[in-house]
Amino acid sequence: MGNILAIANKEIKGYFASPVAYIVIGFAAILFGWFFVNLLYYFEQASMQAGSGFQGPQAVNVNEMLISPLFLNVAVILLFTLPLVTMRTYSEEKRSGTIELLLTSPLTDVQIVIGKFLGGLVLYAAMLSVTVVHLAFLFIFGNPEWRPVLTGYLGLLLMGGCFLSLGLFVSSLTKNQIVAGMVTFAVFLLFWVINWFASFAGPTTQAVLNYLSITEHLNDFARGVIDTKHLVYYVSFIGFSLFLTVRAVDSERWRG
Amino acid sequence: MIEVQHLTKRYGPTTAVDDISFRVEPGEILGFLGPNGAGKTTTMRVITGYMPPTEGTALVAGYDVATHPIEAKRRTGYLPETPPLYPDMTVGDYLAFVAAIKGVPRRERKSRVQEVMKRTAVADMSNRHCSKLSKGYKQRVGLAQAIIHNPDVLILDEPTSGLDVKQRSETRQLIKDLGGDHTVILSSHILSEVSQTCQRVVIINRGRVVAVDTPDNLTSRLRGEETLFLQVDTRGADARPVLEAITGVRHISPSDVKGDLVSYEIGSDPGRDIRRELASTVVNHGWGLLEMRPLRMSLEQIFLELTEKEGVPETPDGEPQSAGTGGEEETVHG
Repeated sequence: MGNILAIANKEIKGYFASPVAYIVIGFAAILFGWFFVNLLYYFEQASMQAGSGFQGPQAVNVNEMLISPLFLNVAVILLFTLPLVTMRTYSEEKRSGTIELLLTSPLTDVQIVIGKFLGGLVLYAAMLSVTVVHLAFLFIFGNPEWRPVLTGYLGLLLMGGCFLSLGLFVSSLTKNQIVAGMVTFAVFLLFWVINWFASFAGPTTQAVLNYLSITEHLNDFARGVIDTKHLVYYVSFIGFSLFLTVRAVDSERWRG
Repeated sequence: MIEVQHLTKRYGPTTAVDDISFRVEPGEILGFLGPNGAGKTTTMRVITGYMPPTEGTALVAGYDVATHPIEAKRRTGYLPETPPLYPDMTVGDYLAFVAAIKGVPRRERKSRVQEVMKRTAVADMSNRHCSKLSKGYKQRVGLAQAIIHNPDVLILDEPTSGLDVKQRSETRQLIKDLGGDHTVILSSHILSEVSQTCQRVVIINRGRVVAVDTPDNLTSRLRGEETLFLQVDTRGADARPVLEAITGVRHISPSDVKGDLVSYEIGSDPGRDIRRELASTVVNHGWGLLEMRPLRMSLEQIFLELTEKEGVPETPDGEPQSAGTGGEEETVHG
C-alpha cells in the first residue's frame, strides 16, 4: 500500500509541477461554467414559462432540468481533457528512461499501475471539485435534492475512471505521448458513439452496443439511481483496462 | 554476492547475450568491458530484474532475480546509462521518492536523503529541478539514487559517460569508495577507466565472455615476453651488439636515433628481469642511461586483440576463470 501511495503521490506532484494539471482543470472549469450558464438560462426560461402558464404553476425540477443534463455534459469535457492526463503516464517514463527506475525497484507491476491510476483519479477529482462551486450556488438560491447530486458525482467519478484506465493502457503501449493522446481520444470517442448504430441494428446487437457505450451508463447515475448493472460495468471496465496495462508492461519486459 | 549462470538473452532471432557466466565476490568492483552492442546493458538489465533472461539464472545476494524479484531488487541499486530523473522534480523530492519506492522506512528517509546527497556532493542542488542540472550533477544524482537504500549490490551502466575529465575522476573516486561496502559492477567501453577502478574485469564481445581477470594479469598474461623501453646516450657508439650479448635478451627493435640519443625496445624472456644487467652494462660502457621502463600492453591493445579475434578459446568447461593471485595460470588467449 505504501508503494502504491508513493507512486500516486509522485504522479500527482508531477501533474502539478507541470502545466498539465492547470490546463486540464482550467479548461474544464471554463467549459463547465459555459455549460452551467447556458443550462441555467434555459432552466430560468422554462420555469418562467411554467409559472405564467394558464393551467397555473407547474412543478419545475432543478435536478431533472439542470443538474442531470449538466452531468451528462461533463462527459464531453472528459473526452477532451482526460487524454491529456493519461497520455504521458507511461509514454513519458519510457521515453525518458525513468521506467527503468520503476521496474528495477522492489515494486510489483500491479502496484505501479494502480498508483498511476490513483494519481490520475486524484487529478480528475480535483477537476470535478471545481464544479462544486457552481452547484453550491444552486443550493444557496434554490432547493435541489442532494442525493441525485451525489450519485451523479459517483457516476462521473466512475466514468472518468474508465477513461483514465483506458488511457493508461494506451499510454503503456507507446513511447510517444502524442500518439498515446490521439489514440486515447479516438478510443474514448468510439466508446462514446458506439451505440449510435444501435437504432439500426437488431435487438441483440442493439442491447450489446448500448451496454458497451460508456456514456449510456451515466444516465441513471445522473438521475439519482445507483443500478448495480452500471456499477458492474464501470468497475469491470476499469479492472480490465488496468489488467491489460499490467500485461502490456510485462510483455514489454520480455520483448526488451 | 552476484552470480550469473549460463545467462542467455534473445530478442526474437537476435541473441544479445549468449551463455554468460561469472560471479562477483562481496565488496568487489567488477568492470564490465566491451564494445557498444556487446551485451553489457542487456546483462545488467537482467541482473537488476528489469527484464527476465531467456535462459539461465542471475542470483543477487542469493536471490534469483526471476523467481524472487522483490527480494533481489531490494538489495540492488541501479544506475542506467541515462540517469532516470524526473525533470519536473527537485533533487530532494526525487531522492525522497526513490527512497520511498526502494523501501527505506519512512522515519529514515530524510536522513538517508541528506546522507547520500552529501556523499555524492549534490546537497547544494537539493532544491533545483532535475531538468536544470548539468550533466555531471545528473550523473551524481543518478548515483545518489542508486545507493539511497544502501543496497548490497550496485550496478552502474557507463557511470562516467559524458562527463568531463575532472568529473570523471571524481566519479571514479566515489565508486572506489563505494566498493567495500557494496559489491559493484560497472560497465564501460573506456578501458583506462576500468583498469583504474576495478579489481577484476570481464571482457565481453558479441554476447560472450572473452576474458575474466585482473587488469594487471590481463596485461601481463597476454604478452609472451617482457618488453623494456631503453633510452641511452651512447655518444655515437652502437649499443646494439653489446645489448644483444646480455643473457635473456631475445630481440631488440630498430633503434630510434635523435642526435646522440638512441631508443630501443628490448624484448626479453618471460619471467626474467634483465633491468639490472642492462643498467650496469650501459653504465660500464660509460654511456648515459636516460630512461628505462617496462612496456606493457595497454588494456586498449588487449581489448582490441581479444575482441577482434574470432574464436578466442575459452576455458574448457565454459566457466570463465576467476581472478588469479599470480601469473601461474594459463593464458586466456591461447
